[in-house]
Amino acid sequence: MAISKDEAAEKARKDLAQRLGVSTSEIKEQSVEEAEFPDMSLGAPAKDEMSGQMITSGWRIRLQAGNQTFEYRANKNQVRLYNYKGQNFVI
Amino acid sequence: MNRNNFLPHVALALILILVAAFAGQLRKWQWKRTVRIMPGADKRHDAINNGQIASDESNEFSPPEVLVKFKPGVRAETIERITSGLHDRVEDQIESVPGLEAIDDLDNADAESVALAYRGLPEVEYAEPSYEISVDDAGLGLGPVRPRDPRFAEQWALANDGQNGGKQGADVSAMRAWAVTTGTDKVVVAVLDSGVDYTHSDLAANIWVRPASVAPYEDNELGTIQDFHGYNAIENSADPMDDNGHGTHCAGIIGAEGGNDIGIAGVNWKVQIMPLKFMNAGGFGTTKDAIEAINYVIDRKKHGVNVRVISASWGSTQKSRALDDVIQKAYQEGILFVAASGNSSTNNDRSPHYPSSYNNVISVAALDRNDQLASFSNYGPKSVQIAAPGKDILSTWLGDDYEEHSGTSMATPVVAGVAALVVANEPRISVSELRQKLLASVDKLDALKGKVTTGGRINAAKAVGAE
Repeated sequence: MAISKDEAAEKARKDLAQRLGVSTSEIKEQSVEEAEFPDMSLGAPAKDEMSGQMITSGWRIRLQAGNQTFEYRANKNQVRLYNYKGQNFVI
Repeated sequence: MNRNNFLPHVALALILILVAAFAGQLRKWQWKRTVRIMPGADKRHDAINNGQIASDESNEFSPPEVLVKFKPGVRAETIERITSGLHDRVEDQIESVPGLEAIDDLDNADAESVALAYRGLPEVEYAEPSYEISVDDAGLGLGPVRPRDPRFAEQWALANDGQNGGKQGADVSAMRAWAVTTGTDKVVVAVLDSGVDYTHSDLAANIWVRPASVAPYEDNELGTIQDFHGYNAIENSADPMDDNGHGTHCAGIIGAEGGNDIGIAGVNWKVQIMPLKFMNAGGFGTTKDAIEAINYVIDRKKHGVNVRVISASWGSTQKSRALDDVIQKAYQEGILFVAASGNSSTNNDRSPHYPSSYNNVISVAALDRNDQLASFSNYGPKSVQIAAPGKDILSTWLGDDYEEHSGTSMATPVVAGVAALVVANEPRISVSELRQKLLASVDKLDALKGKVTTGGRINAAKAVGAE
């Protein structure tokens, strides 16, 4: 089922709050921008993952917790956490 | 008549006989020279079959269907035996080229199929459909063939006349290639991807169907799959329906049905596309499922399916020995693997992209409509072999629709499609010869110097010997 930009951002907030063990109110949304990614993993492939090499439109979601910034990438099909402790995650 | 006017009468009779003989020869010369461009020599037979023209009406000046060159030393009796056995007849011998026969098919079969039957014979040097050629088109040269698909004008990759600010001629010379071959349903191309919408009106006629002579797919661990037109490695099922669109787009580039008055034309107007699904609705999948899908292709090849190319518009920077092993196995079985070089604008010589960086794979970079390396395209003078159009490419999409997309994903099936055209033209070509021929069939571009091994853009016409 396709998700909207707002739904993707909300999903990202909840995921980050859970990872950091904080409440969602402590997660600030820095920006949600239209973006083009190099592939269908949104440039954030998970381990052992292969993806279609087609330029893919989506959203780059930057969230702040404390003095750290975290980046999520999303489109209507998925939400991913980019480069979190050196890895990418499909949410 | 009396003795005095006998001689004049004889002279007049002789003159009339000579005039009649000359007229007959003149008619013969006329049908060899006459004409108009026609994509495919089977229209006349379709017209006969549809009752649009009577067969005797068309046979009066019916041109031969196939031109066959028999090898030196093949005797006339052997030629007669061969043509009779194929239910054909020798319409004419071309005396200036010993062994070249103009052959008429008595079954009204498709000219390309008839030529293919002859090409498979050890006595035959070459065979080709008899094309109708315009005398206004530089004599008897191979003039370009334009499909009547309504959106062909938007397919700059195949024919760039400068539309939308492009550079005229910055294409793969498809129209010249099609004067030699538009592909054949005797060649199977596996599209290893998110599946294919095999119900799309511009693809359905070109989707592979497992022949009754080929047993269903069996795997010792996975069981028996009653595969009908491909395989779904995610679900281990027989339904490779695309739920993303990417695979359908790639399939259309390779073989959207040409000349059907619908949508677009693929590099191959006729081909058999084998859909393989290992990527999900999101457009990504696991290495393991990719391996299972390739395993399926190899199995089908071993069971007699003429699958010659795998088109792989996917990848990542993660290396897998297992994936490499199965790709090499496919190559050993005579299947060429064509893969996308990646879209990170990076040098694959320094940061490899897989599977495009494995041995024996053809790695493809993307060009834009001005013959420039696409800004997103990976490159690599050692590890990326060739380039093809990959920006703003129109092709088939879900919902019987069409969309434009960009990526080395789009460039890859262009090369895979040209590979299928080569095989259609040279059915016995080996996989290594095929790979070499593709890499030797390029137009060198300044923009690709030092970027890809060949320094060039694939040229379909060169690949099939039209240039």
